[in-house]
Amino acid sequence: MKDLRHLIFFENLLLEANNELVQKAQADSKVCVAYTCENVPEPLINLEGCFSARLRAPRTGSLDISTYYMTSFLCEYSRALLERAIEGGFNFADCMITPDGCSMMNRCVENMELLKTLGSGKEKFFFEYMEIPMKADDNGLNLYVVQCRNHILKPLNEKYGIDISDAAIRKAVEDHNRICRLIRAIGEFKKEEKPRITGYEFAVITLATYVAPKYLLIDKLEETLEEIKTREPDEKSKFRARVLVAGSEIDDTDFIKLVEDCGAYVCADRFCYGSLPGRNPIELNDKEDALTQVCRAYMNRGECPRFMNTHKMDHRREYVDQLAKEYKADGIIYEQMKFCDPWAYEKMMGSTILRDKYGYPVLAVDRPYSIGTSGQMQTRVQAFVESIEIKKIQRGGENG
Amino acid sequence: MAKQIGADRLGDFYKEGSRVRKRREWRGFRDTMYDYSRWLWIMMTLGKFVMKPRNVKAMFRYRWMANYLAVPMMVDRHTQGLRGEYLRICHTEQDLVIKDVANLLDSLFRGDRRIGNDKKFSDKVVLVDENEMTAVMMGFPDLKVLSRETPSTYVSVLLNQRAACHYIDVAQEFGLAGDVCPMPEAEAGVSIDDDAPILGACAIQCNTTCDGSLLGNGVISQRLEKENGIPVFQLAAPLRHREDDVQDYAAQEIRNAIAFVEKHTGHKWNWDAYFECAKRVNYFTKCRQEWLEMNRTPYPQVFGSNLALYTETNYMAICGRIPAFEKADAKITKLARQAYAKKKMAAKEYRHRAIVWGVQSHYYMDFLVWLLNCWGIVPLTDMLSMVSTKELVTEDTPENREQAIYDMAWLTENMIMRNRTHGGYKVLLDELWEFVEMFNADMVILWEHMSCKALDGMHGMFEEKARERGIPLVWVSHDLFDPRIISRQGVRDQINSFMRTVMQEEPIDPSLEVLPDDQSW
Amino acid sequence: MTTFLLVLKIIAIVLVVFFVLTFTVYFFNLDMKLTAAIEPWLLKHYDKIDRDQHL
Repeated sequence: MKDLRHLIFFENLLLEANNELVQKAQADSKVCVAYTCENVPEPLINLEGCFSARLRAPRTGSLDISTYYMTSFLCEYSRALLERAIEGGFNFADCMITPDGCSMMNRCVENMELLKTLGSGKEKFFFEYMEIPMKADDNGLNLYVVQCRNHILKPLNEKYGIDISDAAIRKAVEDHNRICRLIRAIGEFKKEEKPRITGYEFAVITLATYVAPKYLLIDKLEETLEEIKTREPDEKSKFRARVLVAGSEIDDTDFIKLVEDCGAYVCADRFCYGSLPGRNPIELNDKEDALTQVCRAYMNRGECPRFMNTHKMDHRREYVDQLAKEYKADGIIYEQMKFCDPWAYEKMMGSTILRDKYGYPVLAVDRPYSIGTSGQMQTRVQAFVESIEIKKIQRGGENG
Repeated sequence: MAKQIGADRLGDFYKEGSRVRKRREWRGFRDTMYDYSRWLWIMMTLGKFVMKPRNVKAMFRYRWMANYLAVPMMVDRHTQGLRGEYLRICHTEQDLVIKDVANLLDSLFRGDRRIGNDKKFSDKVVLVDENEMTAVMMGFPDLKVLSRETPSTYVSVLLNQRAACHYIDVAQEFGLAGDVCPMPEAEAGVSIDDDAPILGACAIQCNTTCDGSLLGNGVISQRLEKENGIPVFQLAAPLRHREDDVQDYAAQEIRNAIAFVEKHTGHKWNWDAYFECAKRVNYFTKCRQEWLEMNRTPYPQVFGSNLALYTETNYMAICGRIPAFEKADAKITKLARQAYAKKKMAAKEYRHRAIVWGVQSHYYMDFLVWLLNCWGIVPLTDMLSMVSTKELVTEDTPENREQAIYDMAWLTENMIMRNRTHGGYKVLLDELWEFVEMFNADMVILWEHMSCKALDGMHGMFEEKARERGIPLVWVSHDLFDPRIISRQGVRDQINSFMRTVMQEEPIDPSLEVLPDDQSW
Repeated sequence: MTTFLLVLKIIAIVLVVFFVLTFTVYFFNLDMKLTAAIEPWLLKHYDKIDRDQHL
């Protein structure tokens, strides 16, 4: 396939947390709201006058200092973020909003605060910690609304004068949905038998929408969508199987690349920083205030294993099954970042249930934050692809 | 063999490669006879337990029941070197805990579909987590509140250091990562291994101490709800429990949990019973505060593993529901006052006053006794004992009924360990140094439970703050339920090295420095 | 009277024997030594039980 025109542009945005577009938006006097967890509703931190930047630590090297502060038993994502913060890599942020999504992320941000790694020279800088529901029910929704009001809207309004009215939230949702619809439209091409976009390309584009101001991405995304519409897929695909990747935080596109280099096309991305469900539009009605609707949307669609009620737990596996069917996945890769407690359990449950109950070939792996070109991982994915192929042949044999 | 405290070389009782010790201590005639009488009482309690055929049947069905062979030895480990009031305080606590666990086991097996299969009884049972505050059950006097995880894993590891290893391995065989906390991992392993009693009208799970605990419940509920048909309510207590803007949510969770229990058991909430329990909770809080007050002086009386274990049981698992604990509180307080008046000491020499922080090694709960006997370090209090001191409302008025819901929510949010591992760094990091000052401590023993991410995440800040204040801080690493990662001697060695190299001290009882207890229960 | 004394004597003997026996068991930790010997046998028994191991 011909290279995507803007792929390098998107890739470049991923090389630094303080990327070109973040700098441009700040030059436009916009407030940069840093956050770390998918449970912070994005439209609320993309109101007029501010934009969100989900923190990553690209090109992570040594984690020595953060390992001193948090030991080697915490996940590398949380350590990499702290290390980068200590290096001064997140000093561009104007505030930091984080939920107690998991203990490790909470400790990571607390260390950032205690070590005064952010907000240097920024008088209005603030840290906010949110409680977010662990169950999807009415009580959880009330909590979510109160927390978003007290820990997102109120401080943004008081410190930076951001308009937090219902109309402003509706406008932010509209802008958010515009990005989501573009990503969904691009993602539709991944359902094709001969896909016109690789999983890697899609991961790069999707990730860019999390880490860069969205309003500065729209034109490039629209052009990319148009380009893909007429893009000719390869006559002979290099892929031997289609896989859905599900699991914990992945902001390392090299992981998707590695999987695809082993012959498995990543047709669906059900992971934190992925597009499913993170880039599904939020539909609002006029009967209820926008804040409540945004919170409900985030609560109901959340696939994070911290949701503990039975319906949510079951839904996590049903959703993977539904996506696997929709995107015609031959197998599922369940991944977890090493030392991630929530996904350690969900990986065990999900991989076992998807294999035993739903009948999918499943590969369960744990991985570091930056995978690079791990030989071990390549071997495991290659073996998985071969096993899928063998199953296909056997099934073909059975069917005559 | 002597009456005087510290006259024996306690390490000489151990035997290389043996599960058990050579013999019991001679503590002088009076104390030995007292200890012997308590041993007889324990044997009678165990004897009564095995008289029931269903309990014998359970013994041959559940692997974890083998650990209960070691009950007397657990008591011996905690009474090492103790004399006089200390010995009596320890027995008052331990013996009551033993009786309570025996009743728990008996009830579990009575209702267990595999063993007693008493359907009528089972319909009155509400299952709860091991690490769960039972406040929400204070107004259901006619229901049985039983935890399957308490006897299968929690108490089992107190009895036998290797009790959880089998279940940890089972969970890992099913793909669970080896770096999660071994406590919920073992509890999930029990469920996977089909080794949990099946009974109950319904169950209440709670997001207790950590992410692992929360997710481990998901494994258990899978079988409980879908296979055994026991409905499960997940009680989500807020994590940022000190914030005002989460309390309404927490209270509503309590209301929902009560409604769930009422629906599935047909029993109605009883406010009289609740307020009775609340009075007992307040009484225990008052006693505990008095003990802690004594511990601020040069003559601490109720401290160490006894304080931790008893607080865990009484504060969390009992929560005012069992009157016998109120009597024990009164007796312990009386003994403590007596000893305090006489300026008595639990060891022959007190060299250091320490605050023990972090999550203790469960397979070495009697480590604090060792700390005192070997190095003269007095564990004044520990993180698990520093729980809520809030007074609950006890008078039945319409306003108080509303307040009571918030009180239960507060207790649930502030269950043991959780009140420090959640809620932000202030409750874990900052309050430690307040306690160091309050208790006039000159040392901090910091348990580093290696798979407890909430604690590990503050490692560097603990060190920095200790350095700022010039307080010696000793890290003691362990893996909570798994002595294969760090053995008991490995735990002791961390203290031994620190005391010898940094503090330049010699042990009070050198026979305890290295103990051949690798194979011990 | 003699019967009463005899009963008392028997009770005293029983109590003394009971005390001597149980105190010996207590002091030399014989109870724990016995259960330590039983444990390996029990563990073998548990290994033989068929279990429905699954999530």
